[in-house]
Parts: sequence; C-alpha cells; structure tokens
Amino acid sequence: MDVIEIKNLTKNYGKSRGIIDVSFNVEEGEIFGFIGPNGAGKSTTIRTLLSLISPSSGSAKIFGKDCREFGPEIKKEIGYLPSEVFYYDKMKVIDLLNYSASFYKKDCSKRIKELAEIMDLDLKKRIDDLSFGNKKKVGIVQGLLHDPKLIILDEPTSGLDPLMQQKFFDLLREENIKGTTILFSSHILSEVQKMCSRVAIIKEGRIIKLEKMSTLKDNNYKKFKIEIDTSIDKNYFKIKGVNNLSVKDNVITFLFKGNINEIMKKISSVDIANLYIEEPDLEEIFMHYYEKEG
Amino acid sequence: MNIFIHELKSARKPTIIWICSMVAISLLFLSIYPGIYNDAETFKKTLASFPDAVKKALGLSIDNVTTLLGFYSFFFMYIMLCGAVQGMNLGLGILSKETRDKTADFLLTKPVSRKQIMTAKLMSALVSLIVTNIVFTAISFIIASAVKQASFSAKIFVMVSLTLFFIQLMLAALGIFISVAARKIRSVLPVSLATVFGFFVISMIGSILGDKAVRYITPFKYFDNAYIIKNASYETVFLVIEFIFIATAITASYIIYSRKDIHAV
Repeated sequence: MDVIEIKNLTKNYGKSRGIIDVSFNVEEGEIFGFIGPNGAGKSTTIRTLLSLISPSSGSAKIFGKDCREFGPEIKKEIGYLPSEVFYYDKMKVIDLLNYSASFYKKDCSKRIKELAEIMDLDLKKRIDDLSFGNKKKVGIVQGLLHDPKLIILDEPTSGLDPLMQQKFFDLLREENIKGTTILFSSHILSEVQKMCSRVAIIKEGRIIKLEKMSTLKDNNYKKFKIEIDTSIDKNYFKIKGVNNLSVKDNVITFLFKGNINEIMKKISSVDIANLYIEEPDLEEIFMHYYEKEG
Repeated sequence: MNIFIHELKSARKPTIIWICSMVAISLLFLSIYPGIYNDAETFKKTLASFPDAVKKALGLSIDNVTTLLGFYSFFFMYIMLCGAVQGMNLGLGILSKETRDKTADFLLTKPVSRKQIMTAKLMSALVSLIVTNIVFTAISFIIASAVKQASFSAKIFVMVSLTLFFIQLMLAALGIFISVAARKIRSVLPVSLATVFGFFVISMIGSILGDKAVRYITPFKYFDNAYIIKNASYETVFLVIEFIFIATAITASYIIYSRKDIHAV
C-alpha cells in the first residue's frame, strides 16, 4: 500500500517557481529520501502534504485520502519535524509537550518521558531558555510522542550534535521496524544514504530522478582516479560512460558506468603512475545528475 | 477545547493589564466627580467658555455634565479609546501571532481544522472581552455608587458601559479580518493604534462638522451617550449595522483563513 501518493503536484508562488509536476509514491514501511539543494522545492512539497499550503494543481494523498479534504483526520497519524523549530517561548517544555499531546486524544505521557530520556531533554526548562539543539530535541519528542504511522522530516538534523543525530537515527530505525513510514527530506546526502531505501531527487521544482538507493549506488558506477607522469590529451578519456571528467595537472578523475573492460583497455594504453578505483558516494552520483540535467 | 484554554491562558496577562488601565481612568475621573458636583456652576462656566469646536469634539453636553451619568459618559470616551485598542489588538493578534512567533507550523500540523482553530481563538477573544467588560463595569459601578451625590439609574449606567463591549467587538472583528487578509503583520500595536486613532479623529472631525454620514463610518459614533441617557435605549439602526459588519468580517475571515497558504519561516 502507498502511504503517500503525489500526482502531478504543482505549486506556483505568483511568478516565482514553487514545484512543477511532482509525482512520487511512498510505500508503507519504507524510509523514503527526498533530496535536493536548498530552494529546490522540498519544503513546498512537504507543506502541501501537510495542507499548510494548497497546490495550484495536481493532488496529494496520504493513507489514500486527499490531504486537503481530510487534513485533520490524516494528521492524527502524522508526526512532523521541521528544519527550524519554533514553539511558544514562555511555556515549559513539559507543558508544550502536553499541549501537543492534547491534540491526539490519547495518553502520551509515558512516551514523552521515554523519548525525553533517550534524547536527554530537560522537561522543566522554559522553551526560550533552550539552545537551538535542545529546541530541536523538543521538536523530535513532539513529532514522535503520539506514535504516528507516518513521520515527515524536513531537514531534521540541523543543530543536532553527532551523538544526538545518531540517537535520533536509531530512534527512527526503531520506529521504522515497528512499521512506521518515514519521509526524509534533506540536502545532506550522507544521512539519506545511511537511512533510506529509495530516493527522489528534486531540482528546480522538478523530480529528476526516482530510484532505489541500491540502484543509485549500484556497482555500475565506479570512481576512477588516475595519476600519470606524462601529459595526455584532455579528451582522451571522453568516451561513452564517462562522467564528471576532470583533468588537473597529472591527476585525472571521472565516474564510469558501463563495460569495465573498455575503460581498462583505454587506461592500459597510457603510461600511468597510480590508479584508484573506488565506490562513489551518493554525493558524487548526485552532483553528476545535477550537472547532466542542468 | 485545548486551543481555547491555551489561548485564554496567554490572554490572561494582557487582559488584566487592560482592565487595570481602564479601571484606573475610571477611578481617576470619578474621584474628582464630587468636587465637580459641588462646584457645578463654575465647572459649567469654564466649559462654556471653551470654543464651540472643542466642545463638539469632546462631545460635551454642558447641561447634564454635572450629573453622574452625564459626567460618566463624558469621560467614557477615553475608556472607549483604550478599550478599542484592546479589542483591535486582540483581533489582530490572535491569529497573526502564530505566524509572527513562527508557531503556525506547530499548530497547523496538528489534527485540527483551520475552522476549529479559528473558532477556538474567537471564543477565547470573546471571553477575554466579556471578562474585561464585566469586571470594568462592576468596579466602575461600585466607584460611581461611592462618589454619587444623587441617585442615578443603574440600567443606564450599564447601558453606557456596554457600548465599550460593542465597540470592542467591532474592532476585534475588523482586526481579525485584517490579520487574515494581510500576508503578515509584523507588529500589532502600530496597526491597531493607527486604526483606532484614525477612527477617533474621523469621529472628532465629524462632531465638529456635524456631519451625519460620519456616524456610519466610525464605530465611535455608533453609540450616542446623550441618546442613550435620554431614551434608555440604543439606536436600532446602528446595532443592526454593527451586527452585519461583524457577521460579514468574521465569515470572510473564516473563508480566507481556511484557504490561506502558511509559508515557511
């Protein structure tokens, strides 16, 4: 079953671009990555899902129900964590969390305590006395305290130190094992790489790639780094399957996808000093998409 | 219900402050009332020597200014001014503060509809205004009874006091409408002060010129205290206009708010 179905979603902000014809589905129980640089339209898509903004055209469904029409009903089962968290400054953390829980008509007090303990959050402090990172922790507890079936994260890790990030990711994995679906939006690829099973890449308001993480990282892609002693023609390695080619002094780097023998033959006819062949990380694959599409 | 209670809690402090300031004005004026009563002739003479325009602008009717109700309705103008700012602040702020404080994302991603949010907030604003008016009127009435020099009609006292509530309701409705129609309100007080004093100046100019049409424009002119004292009733036409105005503004606000895009911070 698809938890999120987005079909041809378009949002115009007057003259400026929002998102154009965005379509993708998120299946039940998966951690779905949504990546793209700042301003690409990640937040716009998410805010439409949460019916904070209304689409210009197209539709978005969560749990099979239209986001706009059934907003309040759907949101019972959604936990949302924005990139920047803001709460009522004068409230104490515990009062804020209780206020948040009061919307869900179930007893969340036990879960609040559990989560606060995991995230090492002081419940007695006032919100405006908290640091950015601690506010973020409030956001995490606030987003998870009602055991939602769908967690939507919009650049969730900013402000968290690495230890807390790790705890947070562990928490998410635990939730995921329990069957919770997670939509994880980020511009930091390594965290998406760590967490997600599938990704959608968005650029300038359009989805440019929708793929399984495993396919993206597929062995088809190899990262080559060649050091040579002599100088060669800059375009020597410009053959089919080579991307992101760069020749700097005596160092040549590129990504290769295709028949490995062909490139080996090409390399063997050059006098090389050193050769590195590595698995590219997602960032490099990602940059490759960006450059090609752009 | 939880939003309603949350709103009431956050409205508690400003409401108490507004009540105190209005009671203070009332106390200040009423405490000099015995002196004015005892020296009525001199007071009237002084007032009579004011230029006509000033008298009209202040809404003075010299004949009954030395009766308690006459005096009360004379200085009630300042109470109304104060209360109008309170009403306008409340209306302007109640929804826009969520955007300003960036808490809109929190509230609007909860399982409640925009209509429910609006209703809860309207109700809490209404309750703050009702509390303000009950407390203010009760305390003023006690002070008035303490300083009275002759008996006065409690009914008319309450009727004059109630005009505060009517004006607050109107400005609160206007405030809510402006706050949902505007994309963002950076600061509430300048907008409400400008609006309230704008209306006030219009009403003063209207009084000086004696222009009837002005009465329909500014809420300060909807309730003529001299008329209320004389007839022990409000002018129906203005009550109807007020009702229509509020109903329209609130309905429009519901519609606009439920469609409004809430932008990222």
